[in-house]
Amino acid sequence: MLGSLQLLQPTTIDEACGALHELGDRAKIYAGGAELLLLMRHRLVTTEVLVNIKNIAGINRLAWDGTFLRAGACATHHALESSPVVWERAPLFADAESQVANVRVRNQGTLGGNLCFNDPHSDPGTVLLVFEASVRLASRRGERRLKLDDFLLDIYTTALEPDELLLEVQIPPLPARMHGSYLRLHRYQRPTLGVAAALKMNSGNIEQSRLAIGCVGPRPQRLVEIESKVKGTTLTDAEKIIAGQKTYLRELLRPVDDLLGSVDYKLYMSCVLLKEALHQAAQKSDLPLTDSPALRI
Amino acid sequence: MKAQGTFSLSLTVNGTAWSGEVPVEETLLEFLRRRLRLTGTKRSCESEVCGACTVLVDNRALSSCNYLAFEAHGKTVLTIEGLADGEELDPLQEAFIRNIGAQCGYCTPGQIMAARALLLEEPSPSEEQIAEWLSGNICRCGAYPAIARSVLEAAEAYRKRK
Repeated sequence: MLGSLQLLQPTTIDEACGALHELGDRAKIYAGGAELLLLMRHRLVTTEVLVNIKNIAGINRLAWDGTFLRAGACATHHALESSPVVWERAPLFADAESQVANVRVRNQGTLGGNLCFNDPHSDPGTVLLVFEASVRLASRRGERRLKLDDFLLDIYTTALEPDELLLEVQIPPLPARMHGSYLRLHRYQRPTLGVAAALKMNSGNIEQSRLAIGCVGPRPQRLVEIESKVKGTTLTDAEKIIAGQKTYLRELLRPVDDLLGSVDYKLYMSCVLLKEALHQAAQKSDLPLTDSPALRI
Repeated sequence: MKAQGTFSLSLTVNGTAWSGEVPVEETLLEFLRRRLRLTGTKRSCESEVCGACTVLVDNRALSSCNYLAFEAHGKTVLTIEGLADGEELDPLQEAFIRNIGAQCGYCTPGQIMAARALLLEEPSPSEEQIAEWLSGNICRCGAYPAIARSVLEAAEAYRKRK
């Protein structure tokens, strides 16, 4: 059972920011509760007031503005996995969203809630690093925009200030001719490992790549060093390069031994899924252009 | 704007309208089981993992254990008790009985409600789709093959009805 709670239901961003400013650490933002209520039940999080932001007009909007796919903080995973505009502009992201947890969690959980929680065992953050997405934050002090890479700090920790609200995620499409794949290992629907790979191929060589791994350490990470090493190589050479990167991955990802696997297992499987994701991304890159975006994830 | 400890909730459960005050922290599962005495919906993992507490809210499957009752305001909730039409069982219930799609039966209401949500969205699901949709509903007895068969048969029965 949950402890006694109070509810505030702001209908504008100003009202919500005002409430967060006034209540400080007595309040928590409520965007669906998929993760928050779980932790509250275990008394890992306690709060007096829930500030329900779902009644703010437009906060669940999904739209393409000519530059970014803009996903409102309260867009549910189900809305994202089933939205034509998300499939059109960011099919890799839509595909990753369709892999989140189970049907029920996708119906309830929101993108903003997921990112602000920064649970290490989570999917959207990893794939959004490959898109080089940004987040738009608001408080009484004004608005600011942060790269997602600068927003996700550490286990359950983000750059969100206590009086701040995440309004939306801004997702630029992948560069032209770049296609990606998102693969995961999971146990009871919670990911043990998530790998996102996007490639632009040119005559059998990797012209450009964006690679990210999540769930094995405190936060998802872009594999910048591997990206630069595989540039200009064939897939076969890229596989050999990846096999030699265990030390780099260990230092970057900071995995720990736990019930989901040993450090060695997680690093081994990181390399296995990374190679598989590269192959899938390369295959999609070689497909002729088609009208069906689902075929070109 | 003032913080409230209770919520004036109005919703429809299994076709019947209900209105009243509920504490903000009351989950839909607690609301259904304790307030309405609809105990067909089961409490189990309380972590959105096992699926025993699955109900439909506006035709979408949700874990009622981790969903606050106030969120169902103005919405329509369907539980296992709302499937049968009087003495006449729903095709899903009939198919589960015929195929012995349950052993201990604790997960069964959740399995059936998850299957209901699937059939509302996809009237002719493949076995793969059934596996994907019901992957969030755990059966510790391992009745999965019979559950999948039940859902396939019920899908056919629903299609014939229409």
